[in-house]
Amino acid sequence: MLLCDFHIHTTYSDGSVELRKVIDLYGQAGFDVIAITDHVVNGDNAMGKLAHRFKYSVTVDNFDSYISHVKEEAKRAQDKYDMLVIPGIEITKNHLTSDNSAHMLIIDVQEFIPACISYEEIFLEARKQNALTIACHPHYMSAKSDRDTLFLWNNRDKYARYIDAWEIANRDDVFNVISLKKYPYLANSDFHKPRHLYSWKTLLNCRKDTEVIKRCIKHNRGVAITLFRHEEA
Amino acid sequence: MMDHIVFWLFALLSALGLAGYFFQVVAVRSKLTRNKKTARSSQDEELLLLSPVSVIKPLKGLDDNLFDNLSSFCTQEYPGYEIIFSLQDANDPAYKVAQKVKDRNPECDITVLVEHCSAGLNPKVNNLMPACGRAKYEQILISDSNVMVGNDYLKETARHMRDPRVGLVTNIIRGIRARSLGSLLENLHLNSFIIGSVCFLDHYLHMPCVIGKSMLMRKRDLEAIGGFSAVKDVLAEDYVIGKLMHEQGKKVVLSDYTINNINEFWSLGKFMNRHTRWGKLRWQIGGMKYFSELIGNTVFMASMPLFFTGFSTLTAALAFGVSGVKILGDMYLGRKTLSGMNTLAYLLAPLKDLIIGCIWFVPILSNTVVWRGNRYLIGKDSRLSPCPENGIWSWRYRFTDVLKTRIAWSMK
Repeated sequence: MLLCDFHIHTTYSDGSVELRKVIDLYGQAGFDVIAITDHVVNGDNAMGKLAHRFKYSVTVDNFDSYISHVKEEAKRAQDKYDMLVIPGIEITKNHLTSDNSAHMLIIDVQEFIPACISYEEIFLEARKQNALTIACHPHYMSAKSDRDTLFLWNNRDKYARYIDAWEIANRDDVFNVISLKKYPYLANSDFHKPRHLYSWKTLLNCRKDTEVIKRCIKHNRGVAITLFRHEEA
Repeated sequence: MMDHIVFWLFALLSALGLAGYFFQVVAVRSKLTRNKKTARSSQDEELLLLSPVSVIKPLKGLDDNLFDNLSSFCTQEYPGYEIIFSLQDANDPAYKVAQKVKDRNPECDITVLVEHCSAGLNPKVNNLMPACGRAKYEQILISDSNVMVGNDYLKETARHMRDPRVGLVTNIIRGIRARSLGSLLENLHLNSFIIGSVCFLDHYLHMPCVIGKSMLMRKRDLEAIGGFSAVKDVLAEDYVIGKLMHEQGKKVVLSDYTINNINEFWSLGKFMNRHTRWGKLRWQIGGMKYFSELIGNTVFMASMPLFFTGFSTLTAALAFGVSGVKILGDMYLGRKTLSGMNTLAYLLAPLKDLIIGCIWFVPILSNTVVWRGNRYLIGKDSRLSPCPENGIWSWRYRFTDVLKTRIAWSMK
């Protein structure tokens, strides 16, 4: 089984650990597949503008250098740790209310996708790039905060057909509604700090190859989740 | 008048502590200077004289930098050695890392051994017992999973074993690569108090002070002291092995080769937990000698007048003056041990000493440790026994046991 985490942030957005160190953290811990998914924040409201101002977002201007850096580190990870690193982004549509906010991962992204375009346009663009679309923390989180992003769940009848998988677990939270709806699922850490390494993860029973992995998630067969816990050595 | 007496009492204790610290610095300097003088001889003929070694790495959970730590043992410039990664459970996250290291180094003789053993209460010893049985060679090297070594580590450590009087070789450690507050404090402590105390005991008192992170010995010497069964129920198995070797008339050598202990992302809680546990261990082993540690904590002593008599020019001058000297001393030790720590990080040294000073009192009030989710009572020489977990009787048991032990010792 491949030990995977598809939701990881670095200092390219609001993560506290720089990309190279993130790769080393996961490599040293024996992971097989990870996706680097820094935020691309909508800049069309005050919250988004603030995120852009504090450089908590990948932008159209630095997207190419972000992707090339991820690819460069992916090569190092492959050589040193035999770990597959897939480039991605987290489309971050932040609004004042949780009901209007949504975050989604675009895994194996090739070109920049702005966060301020419509959901339909984002899904179509992701599909055009043969990337996976994953709904992040789609339901209420245990720590009640403004991080709740409920838009996709509230509008699931309209958008579920565009979404390849839903996060059934994110860091310490488990969303049983995903299970009840029988949606394709995976579990991620939403890594921002080193301690987030110890959280829910995905196990995939497939070959270590980007296309095979994407297929495995889409078809959602051979997918398991595990709580990766810290045991004091 | 009383304030005056308190001030001068603590000033005197601080001076004593500083004197002790000075001798520690001299001992470290002497050890590390010898390190340079005893040339890193890499002659081929010397390599041929070295006996093969079985390196046993007990693994449990993920340490910072685990992959590189384990990999550093696969590139040793040594004529013959095997590595045994020993685990109790194939579901341990370290298993995957050990397998990866094995796959990445096909030229190296590596065994990943998963065998459950519950012979004793010390989980590390439980992990070592099956691996020792599988070891091919007469010489075994026990090495913790959180150390990273240079290519010449095995050669430089094993050369001491050419002397048949030597029963055990251990190494000095330095903490490196801290990236969090807990790690910074941990590395500051390793690179000042721990290295200072170990070198002090070795240099002036010729006392065997074995560090479990690296222990090289012969199987027959280990069997002569009762094997791992003799230490299966003790917390400080390293100290007890060293002591038993010494009692058997075997020399315990502190090698001048420094090994790296990687502590990158420790929380403050982890730092405090470890040193509370180590403090309890030293209190049980050292008894009254444990009090010298408090006097040796010169920053803590120098800060006491501020606490007892309040702020004044004199009390502040003492606290800040001693703290300044300690910062400079720790900085010197850090440079000497090549710890690579940022200069500004040494400003945390007084804070670390104050925390350690507060932790010092815990072992006197409690003799239980929680280790891997189980609570144990620690007895003399750090011998472990299970502690009742539930109900008021468990507290009575702990309390009376502490009292009985203390009274028994004071009667001696």
